[in-house]
Amino acid sequence: MAQAKKSNGGKDNFTRNLVVAVVLGVVLIMLVPTLLSKKSDSKAAVPSVASVQDGYGLVFNKEITGVPFIEIYEDFQCPACQRFESVSGPYIEELISTKKAKIAFHTLSFLGGESQLAANAGACAADQGKFIEFHKTLYANQPVENSGAWTTQYFATLGLGLGISDTSFEKCVKGQNYMGWVKNVAEEGAKRNINSTPTVFINGKEIDRNTAYGSLEAFKAAVAQG
Amino acid sequence: MRIIFQKYQSWIGLVARLILGVVLFVAGFLKVEELEKSQMAVRAYELLPISLANILGIVIPFFEVAVGILLILGAATRITAALGGLLMVVFIFAISQAWARGLSIDCGCFGGGGTIDPSQTRYLQEIIRDAALALLGLYLVRYPLSKFAIDKNNPTNHIKEME
Repeated sequence: MAQAKKSNGGKDNFTRNLVVAVVLGVVLIMLVPTLLSKKSDSKAAVPSVASVQDGYGLVFNKEITGVPFIEIYEDFQCPACQRFESVSGPYIEELISTKKAKIAFHTLSFLGGESQLAANAGACAADQGKFIEFHKTLYANQPVENSGAWTTQYFATLGLGLGISDTSFEKCVKGQNYMGWVKNVAEEGAKRNINSTPTVFINGKEIDRNTAYGSLEAFKAAVAQG
Repeated sequence: MRIIFQKYQSWIGLVARLILGVVLFVAGFLKVEELEKSQMAVRAYELLPISLANILGIVIPFFEVAVGILLILGAATRITAALGGLLMVVFIFAISQAWARGLSIDCGCFGGGGTIDPSQTRYLQEIIRDAALALLGLYLVRYPLSKFAIDKNNPTNHIKEME
């Protein structure tokens, strides 16, 4: 029955085969380089406070031992990350300034282009010793996802507002100097099975998704517990 | 009944082809735009080793785009419909196991994906939708004839096939 179609007719399927070949060819040409590029680029510039062995995270109190190690995976554009920052951000800053914890920030970029620009600018701010301030200001003024508000010019101006006078900051932001690093951070996050933002580990163990992200008390308890 | 079906078969085929093709193309295209999310969506099913999930998260969107385009054009309809339908069966399996194991994830079918709040899961709707699409694929494997396809299907074929 169905095979009758093939044996019948006798006309060749040249057009069909050509179309199939072209579509498959074009898709493969796009797919293969994408697959190959999804590897860490060891030659990419790395911000001074970033630590390659800690998944390229921006690490504070790197040298301190015997304190909890808090790893935060976040995306500057993610609303849940903003909520986590508004609940626990000040406490995390306190832990950094009082040297009571070692903290790694992993600026992921799930949400696309503006997240990458923000992560790049964050790395530039880190080089100027202003990452924490940058982090706080960005979340406090978080616009709608990919609305076009976050441009390199926006971040350059923000740096001036944070008191960064070094012109290399603007060059770093506009030249997207750390874009390779941004991709490496994302790649390491993927390898570590980070499936939502924010994701927070304390000493390698994820905090309780039901409680510790939305409540300062629960987060403090988790840090105290180690 | 049979005569009515013969009369409209190629139009039914066209509708089936376009629905399955457009859904696959759109789903793939939205994911190609944000491959990191697509990788995350595959990882969130907790079905595969992470490295393999990360590769599939890139391959699946491109596969969907290719199969979708070929279905829309009606090129190698039977094979592409089989591939599209098979993909739906794989999705149904993946979503079902996530549901059964009590994971709370977004299927990531049209971009997005990952861990979500348990109250936001929509497993049943996702399974029903994918099952309907799988049936369209199955129909096209059985009756690949359709209007405006690049495949050769002239009227004589049409009649022969029904004999």
